[in-house]
Amino acid sequence: MENDGRRKFLGVCLAGATAAAAVAVAYPVVRYLGPKSRQAGAEKLVLSASDVPEGEAKFIEYAGASAVLVKTKTGELIALSAVCTHLGCIVQWVKDQQHFLCPCHGGLFATDGTVLAGPPPRPLAKIPLTLTEGKITIG
Amino acid sequence: MALLKRLYRWVDLRIGASEIVAKELTGYLLPRNINEWYSLGSILLVIFALQVVTGMLLMVYYVPDADKAFKSVTFIMNEVPYGWLIRLCHAVGSNMMVAVLILHMLSTLFMGSYKSPRELNWLTGFILLTLVQGISLTGYLAPWSQLSFWATTVATNSASAIPVIGPYLVEFLRGGKLVGPPTLGRFFALHVSVLPVVIAALIGAHLFILKRTGISTPPFGSSETAKPWRAESYSYQSHPGGIPFFPNYALQDLTSICIYFAIFLAVVFFAPNLPFTPDAFVPADPFKTPAHIKPEWYFLANYQTLKIFPSELLGLSVQAIAMTFLALLPFIDRSPERHPMKRPLFLICTVAGILLWIGLTVWGHFS
Repeated sequence: MENDGRRKFLGVCLAGATAAAAVAVAYPVVRYLGPKSRQAGAEKLVLSASDVPEGEAKFIEYAGASAVLVKTKTGELIALSAVCTHLGCIVQWVKDQQHFLCPCHGGLFATDGTVLAGPPPRPLAKIPLTLTEGKITIG
Repeated sequence: MALLKRLYRWVDLRIGASEIVAKELTGYLLPRNINEWYSLGSILLVIFALQVVTGMLLMVYYVPDADKAFKSVTFIMNEVPYGWLIRLCHAVGSNMMVAVLILHMLSTLFMGSYKSPRELNWLTGFILLTLVQGISLTGYLAPWSQLSFWATTVATNSASAIPVIGPYLVEFLRGGKLVGPPTLGRFFALHVSVLPVVIAALIGAHLFILKRTGISTPPFGSSETAKPWRAESYSYQSHPGGIPFFPNYALQDLTSICIYFAIFLAVVFFAPNLPFTPDAFVPADPFKTPAHIKPEWYFLANYQTLKIFPSELLGLSVQAIAMTFLALLPFIDRSPERHPMKRPLFLICTVAGILLWIGLTVWGHFS
């Protein structure tokens, strides 16, 4: 009985030590392979207002993803995520119709990101922007 | 535990796992006087596996381009979480692999385990040593630092002493007249795809030959009744009445691996700059040779030999003769006696050889 107890105790110690070693190895490897962490909203991007003419769109990289800055014909500036909410393709700006088209499955979005047609379940995410002295600050 | 037992039984019913365990682990008998030096092979397997894993992880961020290589290594060391740990494990591990490999060969040498019928084991082991040195050399260039650039220049230049083909061979190795971006391309390909595959295949052959021949009995301690091998027909050297590999010797393997890790991690955490000189932290500059550029410690004896001979060809020839002699040792030393104390000539030559190698290494370091 005494031997059984000792054997069980050593077994538990060995299992514990093995588990601790596995965690000590796995943790650095997971951190090493993990994506670079970004704090949402912490990143700012400054552009010149003259970079986007009226009725045009400018695609940019923002917070590690694709975004688009559009200036409507009425002069309103809007920043949106360029990632389609259906399956993650990047939307394209159709200048003639003044809307966004997702080339993957034909999703249509208005300049403010709302869904006009097609399979996308949600509007394109809006990104806050400010315009001061001819400088557009995104984020 | 009950779940594990049920899972084992489920697998056993399908593939006969218990039969394999009985034959290869609990029923695999080793000589009763087997010692801890026999576990060096298991340590080497663990090191090789660790080198492969850390190498794969480094490839996630490393860029094999002369313009970006140094920056990517600096990025791994300074920016990527635990990148320094992965890289140090790889750099220290490569040095440790050569050191443990040399110890493994020395233990084989002193215990006479290279003798008939184990010539093929010695030969594959010897080729493995040269391949491991080759994989270390090709990996040395990868960080594209002053140290890697100029050490590779010196190492590849040694081949120019070979008559007739020497200059062409140097150019072929480098992919150009001088070490440059093409050298990095071919060294990287050798380091990550060709050499690891060849080394893995040779390790497989080494283990296969070991399994077919049977493990040798150490010449020390209590003698057993194993039949001496005769070159008449194939016979496996079994050890009836020996100790089982599992759990008995597996525990010794585990102990040796733990001791190895204690030493390895002590270097990684407390002496991380041991594998590096200050030149390793400066990007490669093809127009500026640093003073006193030296190869890795395991090439220092070769480097010093080349320096002390009046002609490079003579220095290379002496090294080639020594290496060939060592590779063919089992075919030259054919006496069945394996106890080192009963082989005075062998003992004197081996000790003198080791002292000469250490002496040349120290000389090379301080010269």
